[in-house]
Amino acid sequence: MRKNWLIDRRTCLKGLGVALALPLLETMGWADPPSGTAWKPPVRLGFMYMPHGVIETAFWPTDPATFLTAPPPAWDALRPLMGQCLALKGIEGVPITGLGGAPHALELSTWLTATLPDVHRRDTIHIAISADQIAANHIGANTALPSLELATMPQNHKENQEGLNENYYSHCSFSSSTQPVPAETSPANAFKRLFTSRPLTAAALGRGATAGDDLDRSMLDLVLGGAKDLRGGLSGGDQRKLDEYLEGIRTLERRVAALERQQQTAAARAAAAADGSASATIHVDIPEGKPKLSEYMRVMGDLIVLAFQTDTTRVATLIGSTPNGISYPELGFTDEHHSLTHHNFDPVKVDKLTKINQFNIAQFAHIVTRMHELREGDGTLLDHSIMMWGSGLEDGNKHARKNLPAIIAGKGGGTIRPGRFVPDCQGNQGDLVSSLLVAAGIPLEKPIGIGTKFLTQLG
Amino acid sequence: MVLRRAARARSWRPGHTRLAVTALVTLLAMGSAAALAAEPAVEATSDALRASARQAFDHDISPFVMTYCERCHGENKRKGDFTFVNALKDPFAVAYRPLWKLAITKIHAQDMPPEQAEKQPAEHERAVIATWVASLKHLSPRDPGTFVIRRLSKVEYANSLHDLFDVDPQIAKDLPDEIFGAGYTNTISPLLMEEYLLVAGAVLDQVIAPPGAPPTAAQLRLIPALPAARSGTAEAARAIAAQVARRAYRRPPTAGELDVLLKVFALADARGAPFSEAVRLMLKAVLVSPQFLFITPDAPVAAGATIVPLGDHQLAARLSYLLWATMPDDELDRLADAGTLHQPAVLAAQVRRLLADPRARALFDGFGAQWLGIDKLADKAFDERKFPQMTRELRTAMYDEARLLFDSVLRGDRSVRELIDCDYTFLNGPLAAVYGIPDAASGPQLRRVALRDANRGGILAMPAILAMTSFPNRTSPVKRGVWVLEQVLGESTPPPPPNVPPLDKQDPAKVAHLTLRQRTELHRSDAVCASCHKILDPIGFGLENFDAIGRWRTQDEAGGAVDASGELPGDQRFTSPAELKRIIAGRQDDFCRNLTGRLLAYALCRQLEGYDEVVVDQLTAAIANDGYRLQSLVMAVVTSYPFLNRRLAD
Repeated sequence: MRKNWLIDRRTCLKGLGVALALPLLETMGWADPPSGTAWKPPVRLGFMYMPHGVIETAFWPTDPATFLTAPPPAWDALRPLMGQCLALKGIEGVPITGLGGAPHALELSTWLTATLPDVHRRDTIHIAISADQIAANHIGANTALPSLELATMPQNHKENQEGLNENYYSHCSFSSSTQPVPAETSPANAFKRLFTSRPLTAAALGRGATAGDDLDRSMLDLVLGGAKDLRGGLSGGDQRKLDEYLEGIRTLERRVAALERQQQTAAARAAAAADGSASATIHVDIPEGKPKLSEYMRVMGDLIVLAFQTDTTRVATLIGSTPNGISYPELGFTDEHHSLTHHNFDPVKVDKLTKINQFNIAQFAHIVTRMHELREGDGTLLDHSIMMWGSGLEDGNKHARKNLPAIIAGKGGGTIRPGRFVPDCQGNQGDLVSSLLVAAGIPLEKPIGIGTKFLTQLG
Repeated sequence: MVLRRAARARSWRPGHTRLAVTALVTLLAMGSAAALAAEPAVEATSDALRASARQAFDHDISPFVMTYCERCHGENKRKGDFTFVNALKDPFAVAYRPLWKLAITKIHAQDMPPEQAEKQPAEHERAVIATWVASLKHLSPRDPGTFVIRRLSKVEYANSLHDLFDVDPQIAKDLPDEIFGAGYTNTISPLLMEEYLLVAGAVLDQVIAPPGAPPTAAQLRLIPALPAARSGTAEAARAIAAQVARRAYRRPPTAGELDVLLKVFALADARGAPFSEAVRLMLKAVLVSPQFLFITPDAPVAAGATIVPLGDHQLAARLSYLLWATMPDDELDRLADAGTLHQPAVLAAQVRRLLADPRARALFDGFGAQWLGIDKLADKAFDERKFPQMTRELRTAMYDEARLLFDSVLRGDRSVRELIDCDYTFLNGPLAAVYGIPDAASGPQLRRVALRDANRGGILAMPAILAMTSFPNRTSPVKRGVWVLEQVLGESTPPPPPNVPPLDKQDPAKVAHLTLRQRTELHRSDAVCASCHKILDPIGFGLENFDAIGRWRTQDEAGGAVDASGELPGDQRFTSPAELKRIIAGRQDDFCRNLTGRLLAYALCRQLEGYDEVVVDQLTAAIANDGYRLQSLVMAVVTSYPFLNRRLAD
């Protein structure tokens, strides 16, 4: 079974063309260990980012009573799905006291960490593990990929604000207080990583006529042993650096183990597909060449949907753009997003920004709409997910952080009650992301970062 | 902290916060790499400077803080979450350096003490504290900084694979792009680890032919002859391992390291894999080993050591990755094996040899392009209707123009001043059209062209830079001003304060009819904005004769006449880009210091701090004394104390 699966999968990928169909995914299994109990779809957690905040008059609902019937203009694309969405106002961002000159270096990096970097060690990364990576360590532990990080811009923008390490500028995911997690920017590579690379198997060894699947694994074991010998002769700082390498190898090994577990429960998933209680896997078109931004963001969104649907991962982030240099020629103007946000209430600029907000929310709407259309278990994929769209600034004109914009979609398997606007949450970003983690079934002793409480308004 | 003089952002006159380093200049006025080894004398001077800074603290600074700051930023009140309490107890600790720098910025800009405070320091008191903060660097203990084992960057990794196995560096293109130089995170993610394994497989697919297929050329070089008997396979494999690991690990592998590789070989061999396949697995182990992926030290360090010189092999690697972005070649290997590379004369000769090699282009592609901010020119958005000519080809030509100027100054060992002000450039046909001198060049090949127009020549007037400091659809005088101040002169410009009152609230009807220049000049009607914009804006306006892709123009976007005249603090007036250029070029000492600091930070892969600032002073003085020559600058950096030594992190 396992060998066949492997061969089939590779055969499938040889045909990697413009349109990618994944008929074989039906045979993939849920990662939950078989337990004899009824199968229950897992909760997935997704985050999508837009920099620079929003035009508040176009974004915030005015009245809980009319939230469903008269959504704000920026939400236009979500109109058919308002019943699946939750708007929370009154979530304060991380105050950037002491680093006031770095509003854009800190908007993305504080978004999911809810933590301010260590001002005394600002030239290197010292922040905190981000919410998505906490989730990856828990609900991601059994999937082939603990988490999926995607972006549409390379994360190598070099702009020094307040002497902060430049990587703060373009990363939202941190696997520890010192390690930013790079995002994949190529849809084709992301696809490969999700569905084809079984790095420690015959596929990676190649030409496995005489060699077993585990040869690479055994080779890595030996390399790991050699690395430990090397470690012995190194100084403390060098040893810690090498530990990251050792952890990298172990993560790869865990990934293989997860894939193997996934095989064992293929039956449950296949049965669900056969009796019609689950939708067939979606098709993803990987554009060739350099796509338009809307196509680019949409294919990244599709990959997240596909990864969630096939339970290849349960945690995903999509950095729609980073604060530097993005412009939206397909909206009919080439002004940079950032310079527009210092609009000083110029109506032309405000109008363009509203369009940019609508555009980004429309890409989020594309994701959640697809998820809403996919049947799974007793409901839809979206019913078993928590999707959050947001920004790390409230308003780019004044760099405010009092009311971070956020849209939550999905029911989180029953922990979230969407279709509402909560006008005054009186919480902060730490409260919010911590509460989302708990809603996704992740045990937290206390809220992360600046959080002081778990929000009661989600359910 | 970055090595930037934050306090200087609001000043113009060069050197006003700098301590008198005349003594150092005299000491260092020897110019050559070896001269920098005159350490004891330098140390003595530093000791004297330390003592004087300590004295000044007790005499002037502590009383200043107690008089003007303590009421709001002391033990009881900590306004703005800012207190001097701890810094006063241990004023020279590196940890409080940012605090002092922030304080001096505020004090110097007259933001602090606030206007309503009863007691206001006199101008000379403000100046004293500024001088003292600038002198803090002399209190840092002599320290090269840590150099923990460093992961190869994406580019270095790709080039090393090419050098090892003659594969196309593009084979590593799927690795994530990353920030290199200062700000490099040097971490390894699961994504990266997975890519390493996949790329290793892809490389070896090209190097080792499948069983039964004829061997590749690279394979024949590795395995000239198959072992005659099965009993000889392990021995043959060991020879291959020793040869490949020596290059891949950039030092002789230890016996233990070879044993690991041999065990990998035995793993496949025991399963009956053909010799070439077992070698393939062994080579894969080499390519995913930390000894290849990281620059590792030569030998275990002695217990208790804190600061050690780099071993010759680690030095060879650091040097070749800096100047070539790839692994050491045979000659560097040989000198490292002989243990002579660190000798000043040998090292200097190697630096000159490496710089003369075509591979030294990597120094521009890695460092130069990043410094000038043109590394992303290929991907920058331009308004296609306004600038249809910004094709891939033209962007490449613009980038190459800057690269060739850098190359010309470096190879010719000319003064760095020539980078700002010179009478030649490199053009091809399309680029000559941008310059408005279509007869100067034709065809796709760039060639050196003498310039008659004094407004052109040098990085300030170069299309790649002018385009990168513009918006997609128009110029940005502010961006250009910031670029000149930060990238050329090394000053820092604080970002604009948030929530600036909208300019048009003043009189919307009036503002609507202003030109871009007049509108921008409104910055200066507000005291908060004026302190920076009075320097930024004139520089930007001085370059307004160049449009958003660097073409000469006399009318701006709105159709108004370009007014490129301006005045900088200190009564320096200009009426054209040519005159502005000359003023900027006149600050060659600041330019040289900035370039030196940036290259040092890039070479060390970290931001500069503490003692580094002293090093940059010393290097700048030596380079200045050697005619500001670019090769001397590179030489000074790679023979500097922090490049040749490392502190072991605890």
